[in-house]
Amino acid sequence: MSEPALDKNLLGDMQTFVQRAIDRGRRTFELATAAPEPVGLTPKDVLYSRGTLRLYHYHPLSDEVYRVPVLLVMATTNKAFVFDLAPGQSMVEFLLKQGFDVYVIDWEPPTPEERGLTLASYTQDFIPTCVQKVQDDTGETDVSIIGYCMGGVLSLIYAATHADGPLKNLVCLTTPVNMHGMGLQNVWNDKRYFDVDRLVDTLGIIPADSVTQMFEMQRPAQKIAGQLRLWEQMLDDEYVKSYRAFQRWGDETLPLAGEYLRETTKELMWDNKLFNGDLVVSGRKAKLSKIKVPMLSIVAEHDHLAPRDSTRELLDVVGSTDKEEILLKGGHVSLIAGPNAVRRMWPRLDVWLSERSV
Amino acid sequence: MADEKPKDPGAVFQEWVTQWERNFDSFANKVMGTEGFSQAMNETQKAQLKMQGMFSQFMTEQLGKMNMPTRDDVLRLGEAITAVDRRLERIEEKLALDGKKKRSKKRPARTKKPASSQIDKKENEA
Repeated sequence: MSEPALDKNLLGDMQTFVQRAIDRGRRTFELATAAPEPVGLTPKDVLYSRGTLRLYHYHPLSDEVYRVPVLLVMATTNKAFVFDLAPGQSMVEFLLKQGFDVYVIDWEPPTPEERGLTLASYTQDFIPTCVQKVQDDTGETDVSIIGYCMGGVLSLIYAATHADGPLKNLVCLTTPVNMHGMGLQNVWNDKRYFDVDRLVDTLGIIPADSVTQMFEMQRPAQKIAGQLRLWEQMLDDEYVKSYRAFQRWGDETLPLAGEYLRETTKELMWDNKLFNGDLVVSGRKAKLSKIKVPMLSIVAEHDHLAPRDSTRELLDVVGSTDKEEILLKGGHVSLIAGPNAVRRMWPRLDVWLSERSV
Repeated sequence: MADEKPKDPGAVFQEWVTQWERNFDSFANKVMGTEGFSQAMNETQKAQLKMQGMFSQFMTEQLGKMNMPTRDDVLRLGEAITAVDRRLERIEEKLALDGKKKRSKKRPARTKKPASSQIDKKENEA
């Protein structure tokens, strides 16, 4: 190559580099001043609300639906719009298009008077009430439940304490059951050092910042790496949109009712009572072996919040005969939302659930 | 010698970020996964909570002396308002529900069959 041609190429590359840097800078400024990314756009009605609890019914998107409605149960620490991030990236929209009648349990920040909410409040009051509302709204007796993370744990406790109830199918997404396999969380919540009583007695409601910090500490580089990736992909509109939707979800982490944290720490984390079959909620034994309905557990290979050691034995301890575990690539959140979920998880969920929803 | 295509700088950067993230997290997890870290973290939290508790108690006493409401008093007032608000919500819900029942919303038929059973049916018919 002759020298002038080399110079020309180099000049061209440099011009592109500088232009892209300017465009990225401009875009960064635009995003910094832009309104939050719109999320949860699939049309819905609030069927029921009480304090921290919201029950949504999504408008059907098909002319014919499966007989059995589906109730999604979100973890108490996060907003349920992760199920409905954006058109084309929405698990709810996908399920509706496949012909499911979809209901979702979402949570608002608990009010100060809700600091005393316990496992019993969620599993013996909120979930059963919502199941009843779904039954009333659809006229169907059977209801399938899909629980995500701690929403899955609550669903398990509900299922175990309502073994003769209307539950038709149970799907647990990234749901830990052996709490002694929770990795770093076990170390940080070591009962010799973690004074959960002082924390709850002093704060009443655990602030959202503390909950977020607990999540972020497990992957301390994730936030910075995410921002570096965003800078690189700043001119890709789809990437930026998706990033901002996920970021909004992370930013809107919910505070936690203190008593609920005290109980989950002592009963579930320290004494591992759900896994051992010793958990009693409102006088009812929550033995997982009592769960006999068809069950699907979908877990992620690289899940740091519900590590594999905590999810592996779920199907061993339930009493169901029709049970299946699907282990997929991805992490705790990418299992349910984002390109991985669209490609890997949703179709598998659809196949399993549709056959059991007639 | 085979022509080597120059790597896309964007892809190289992404790879570098992923590697850096993995290494940093792995290192941090090792440090934070020790008993010593857990002890130090929880001791710090305990000290913060103790301070917060003492400050809260001090403020409660001072506000009482000044005849001013404390945070708990304001929260209790908030609870009372919320209780009234909830009763209103329930009444509104009941009214809305009655209205909805009257309108008798049209719903799709609950007769959908999974794609697999449709295939089985077609195979049987054939």
